[in-house]
Amino acid sequence: MRSNILLSRIALGLYLVIFFTYLLGPLVIMSMTAFNSNPFPTITPWDCFSFEWFQVLANDERILRAILNSVIIGLGTVVLSVAMGLAASLILTQIWPRWRSTYYTIIIAPILIPGVVLGISTVVFWDRLSRILGPATDALFHNGIFLTILGQSTFIASYTMLVFVARLQRYDPGLTEAALDLGATHVQAFRKILLPFMRPAIASAAVLAFLASFENYNTTTFTFGRYPTLTIELAQKVRYGINPSISALAFIIVSLTVFGALANEAWRRGRIKAEAERKGEAVAQGRSILPGFLRGNWAAGALVLFSFVVITLFWTARAYSPEQCKAEVRAAKQAEAAKRREELLRRRAQQRLQQQMKGPDIFVPSGKPAPAGGAAAGKPATGNAPFGGVFDPGNLEGQSGTGEKPDEGSNAAPPAKPSPFGGVFDPGNLANQAGAGGDGESGEAPPGKADDNGGAKPTSPFGGVFDPGNLKGVGGGAGEGN
Amino acid sequence: MARPRLLSEYFRTNGRLLGSVMLGLVAFWIIVLILLPQLSMLDYSFRYNLPPAEQGGPKDVYTLANYRHLIYGAGGGEGTYNTVDLMVFVRTIIAAMAVTVADLILCYPLAYYLGQSRGSGFVRLLVVLLIIPYWINEILRAFALRIVFADGGILNAAMMGLGLIDQPIDFIRADVALYAGLGYAYILLMLFPMYNAIESLDRNQIEAARDMGASWIRIHRRIVIPHAKPGITSGMTMVFMLSAGALAAPQILGGPSSLWFTQLVYQWFNDSLNWQQGAAYAIVLLVASITIVLTFMKIFKVNMGDIGK
Repeated sequence: MRSNILLSRIALGLYLVIFFTYLLGPLVIMSMTAFNSNPFPTITPWDCFSFEWFQVLANDERILRAILNSVIIGLGTVVLSVAMGLAASLILTQIWPRWRSTYYTIIIAPILIPGVVLGISTVVFWDRLSRILGPATDALFHNGIFLTILGQSTFIASYTMLVFVARLQRYDPGLTEAALDLGATHVQAFRKILLPFMRPAIASAAVLAFLASFENYNTTTFTFGRYPTLTIELAQKVRYGINPSISALAFIIVSLTVFGALANEAWRRGRIKAEAERKGEAVAQGRSILPGFLRGNWAAGALVLFSFVVITLFWTARAYSPEQCKAEVRAAKQAEAAKRREELLRRRAQQRLQQQMKGPDIFVPSGKPAPAGGAAAGKPATGNAPFGGVFDPGNLEGQSGTGEKPDEGSNAAPPAKPSPFGGVFDPGNLANQAGAGGDGESGEAPPGKADDNGGAKPTSPFGGVFDPGNLKGVGGGAGEGN
Repeated sequence: MARPRLLSEYFRTNGRLLGSVMLGLVAFWIIVLILLPQLSMLDYSFRYNLPPAEQGGPKDVYTLANYRHLIYGAGGGEGTYNTVDLMVFVRTIIAAMAVTVADLILCYPLAYYLGQSRGSGFVRLLVVLLIIPYWINEILRAFALRIVFADGGILNAAMMGLGLIDQPIDFIRADVALYAGLGYAYILLMLFPMYNAIESLDRNQIEAARDMGASWIRIHRRIVIPHAKPGITSGMTMVFMLSAGALAAPQILGGPSSLWFTQLVYQWFNDSLNWQQGAAYAIVLLVASITIVLTFMKIFKVNMGDIGK
């Protein structure tokens, strides 16, 4: 029995560890990449501890403007959705029982409608309306900020409504009635009685609405027009070419979130403790070196610790100059590249030897797959492109092509095989990979270069580079050497 | 005449000014923001994509062409089906269901643990740790997973370091990253409703069942799960609807050869500028996912009113 309990404890602990690793691990790793000088957001290989991505971020005008747009849209959404949510929740308490469930279904439905649908319907509707009402309304009804606020409020108001309904359940309508009996007007009763009672709910609904608006993507991506929000800008950056300045922004956002969560928890615990003390339940506290607000409040302690760590990290990163380390990494990489080139030369020589024995017939494989294969094969070898070419813009075009022009071939592309060529030699795949190949670091050595490097025979200008067995070496060597 | 009496009663309890403001706000929300946009999208989906000059002209008639395109493709009929788009649709729905079930299995033990062990500081710490990723941008969460699953990312590096594999696995092309990302994005929407439901379960019930000799599985099947049913339904509905309608995760984590249905909608809308076709696809997505949710609610006998509680 005892070992049984122990076993279940271990299982629980293991499960908790796995769950929270899944939940928090990616965020931690993403935050760490912000301090790696490697031009790709990765922690393997770790090059140098560096602050440069924060400087890149601070100089990124588009991001700064997008933050401004997000804040404006967020504030607009807060005002509109809090007002609508409050009104809807008040009416919910008064509505006829027969209509109640229909009404509730309608105002809760926007939570369940996909954000994509909300965005499209908002754009379509206001476009139609502006056509009906004439060109005078054109500027407003096609304005990105206007449309985004309306689109987001449609479903964020449902969230705020839920917050208000929860609070209203504890409200005694007799209070309003009493105020009215004593001669207050309806507006006065609302402002002096109901509103103060609802204030905590309004505050949390406003925070909720602002955060939901700030991070919304699905609806905004259809409505933003000429005013991209931060989320839109981030998505564009992540999809088309990235560098760790996004990680730097992510680090800031993660830190702010952790800070906010800890501060909220510390404040909550502080209040609970104060209440307990007021009730005279406080246990006699021993002497402690900790200041009062930290005692028995792990959240406050964690908050102080966390702030300390972040400030230290920033301070060190600013003060620390990674130049020397970077030079070392560069030298190491060059050395590695040189080694690869040597290896390549050796293999070339061997190949030439074999070819001489075999005779002049060197165009064994067709040259067609080589351009794609060269670049793709170069990637795993360099270790410098952690995303294996998926971030290449050319690749994404290939992806979007599938939707417009149903392309059987690319749809049927096989899942990744652990081959050095990442399945690029599959004919069905060629259409997609060609873009990546064209954009990649030129893994394929041009004929002249092959001549210099390999000293191929004049009869074969390609010096056997088209031999698939050779491709990996060529890609790696040439990619690094360039 | 029930209606005027109701309205006058309403204005008597709320006052003329306040009552009209409240009614106006709710009417604006329901009519202008919810109903009319959906209706105009529905209307749009039955129209041809015409140049502005021809709109309202004789050619501007209702048609089923946009829906036909989803089923039969550009050719329209004659036994050929739009297999690509239909496959994307089926895959989206099935994968969204799989993600929902996976999240349910992953979350249930934690929801039970958090819900039944009350008050301790450790549990509060866990809840705070859960809330943190909840407020991080969806794009950034997808980006974080992309870093983890990349060719040279930590997962490949770790597995190669341990000698499990000798070549990096392309998680993104294999869609592993996509499914992990979808599950990751909405896992907390599954956890919190379930946690709230289980928290309200009286511990004594479980104790009593255990004293009477009920097995561990039986306690869950007969006591905990029936009690948590509204929470479970609410979580499953949210996760399913959100993953079926997800756009960010497929765009960032999807492999180059696989699409999500929302991406098709996005392409019709933003790349091909064929709003009518996009609207039709969006309607199909909306109707299909709502139908699925309602069917499952019917099977498991839960009301719409339980959602969001």
